[in-house]
Amino acid sequence: MKGFGYLVKEGFKNVWSNRIMSIASICVLISCLVLTGAAALFSLNVSKLVEEVGESNETIVYIQPGYSQLEAVYVGKEIEKVDNVASAKFYSKEEAFEQYRKTLGDSLFSRIEDRNPLPDSFIVVMHDLSKYEETVAKIQQIEGVDKDSILNRKDFADKLTRISNLVTIISIGVVAALLIISLFIIANTIRATMYSRRFEISIMKSVGATNSFVRMPFLVEGMIIGLISAIIATGVLALVYQGVGMVVENAQSLFSFIPYTDLLPYVAVAFAVFGVFVGFCGGFLSIRKYLKMEGNEILGW
Amino acid sequence: MIEFQNVSKTYPNGTHALHDVSLRIDKGEFVFIVGASGAGKSTFLKLIMHEETPTSGEIIINGNKLSKLKRRDVPYLRRHMGIVFQDFRLIEKMTVFDNVAFAMRAVGENTATIKKRVPYVLDLVGLKDKMKNKPSELSGGEQQRVSLARALVNNPEIIVADEPTGNVDPELSHEIIELLNEINSMGTTVLVVTHEHELVREFNQRVIAIDKGHVISDNHRRGYSGYESENFGDEDYSLSYSEYEEDMDLTDDELTDDYSGYAYDDDEPDYPDGVVVMPDDQA
Repeated sequence: MKGFGYLVKEGFKNVWSNRIMSIASICVLISCLVLTGAAALFSLNVSKLVEEVGESNETIVYIQPGYSQLEAVYVGKEIEKVDNVASAKFYSKEEAFEQYRKTLGDSLFSRIEDRNPLPDSFIVVMHDLSKYEETVAKIQQIEGVDKDSILNRKDFADKLTRISNLVTIISIGVVAALLIISLFIIANTIRATMYSRRFEISIMKSVGATNSFVRMPFLVEGMIIGLISAIIATGVLALVYQGVGMVVENAQSLFSFIPYTDLLPYVAVAFAVFGVFVGFCGGFLSIRKYLKMEGNEILGW
Repeated sequence: MIEFQNVSKTYPNGTHALHDVSLRIDKGEFVFIVGASGAGKSTFLKLIMHEETPTSGEIIINGNKLSKLKRRDVPYLRRHMGIVFQDFRLIEKMTVFDNVAFAMRAVGENTATIKKRVPYVLDLVGLKDKMKNKPSELSGGEQQRVSLARALVNNPEIIVADEPTGNVDPELSHEIIELLNEINSMGTTVLVVTHEHELVREFNQRVIAIDKGHVISDNHRRGYSGYESENFGDEDYSLSYSEYEEDMDLTDDELTDDYSGYAYDDDEPDYPDGVVVMPDDQA
């Protein structure tokens, strides 16, 4: 297109000359992008967790309270006899207690050390995960096994998936609302620029500028707003993600977050595409009205 | 070049702005369009620019029927015309150069062409040394010349000047029309809408008078001297108009072709000089 460089320059000028409104749109768009990104990253991590849980063939079997350690070992022998059980490793309540104390801190546990509330348990490894349900049912029949508290990892995985789905639904709602708000604000920002440049628009139209030519600087304006928002949002999300990641990984060692550097390129590209698209639509929506008008109508005379 | 065939325009609010107007303006003509405010002059210009469409009748510009013009082609129609506004419509924050260049940028001209063409046109209107000034640093007459340069810069076939002297000191009005005359002599068709009869009389050119939406007289060169006050508002203005209407009675095919046979400039009757009263003066 002829004069493209000029039009892009005009777009930058628009953003700058209307900077207060531009900043407002950028802020709203950033929050929209960060929330969208956070929701997406959350569900990515949950999927990863669910996958890891599903692949793990370890199941914890708790021994009923009141069984001594010796009795517990016998229960363990019974467990090992069940088909499909590869091994049953004893995990004493003292070991469990130490583990909790390490991850959660001393202050709470030192006071209850003499009355350890945790049960003894076995870490059961199975040969074939597809027979998981029936194996667990057999173990449950063994005397001394706490039937109700076998940590069924499938249940756990299902629960996680349900939470993740719920989060996805809520975030889709929030993001949709924010998207509409950001579209509205960008459209208004550009409308304000357009209003301040209506005189130039009327002259352009009178000398025979095509609609696409008149439109271009405003589309560029929208896209610049979108791009700036995308860049800042990528940074903000990186900080939030790493912050949350550190807190979670300090609290428990079971699960590690997907490193942000793995996600960064995707996040950046998705944000850029999304931001530019929203900006473009905002510009497109707001100029439509002006393009239908002629001469003095534009100026409101 | 510009052709009106029984054009009427009624606005949605019921105002009858133009009523059954038929006329033809040929390539290279210089035409004054006179009439009081509200007579229909602005509507006439808006119709030519295709800012408004006629309620009935047909407008033909360069052989193209405007009723057949597609929306996306309207900008290209306007590139054949340069518009000069009464209020100049210059962009205050831009220099004189940029104001003129703006019209070229708006049609996508490249920078090299703009850098060559703008100084040339500004030289033409005598403002080459004011290129870097802002419009506010110029006199009214100079601002109007910038506006004229902007209208000229894309090399249009028609210049349409809407009250070009309306905001200019009377002594400078003459200068503006003189400039338009010069431009006309280079082959550009010039349409000047005005209500300044003194000016119109000074320049011996074709004059189309509009009143209450009707063309009440269309005097070709040498002919214009106004019209009798007694006749004003009368329905009987056919005397000066009927002859023209005969020429208008052509088929479409004839219209878009060569007009060389229809030189009606010379066979208009001479009107006696006398006291003339224009619609404005009566108001």
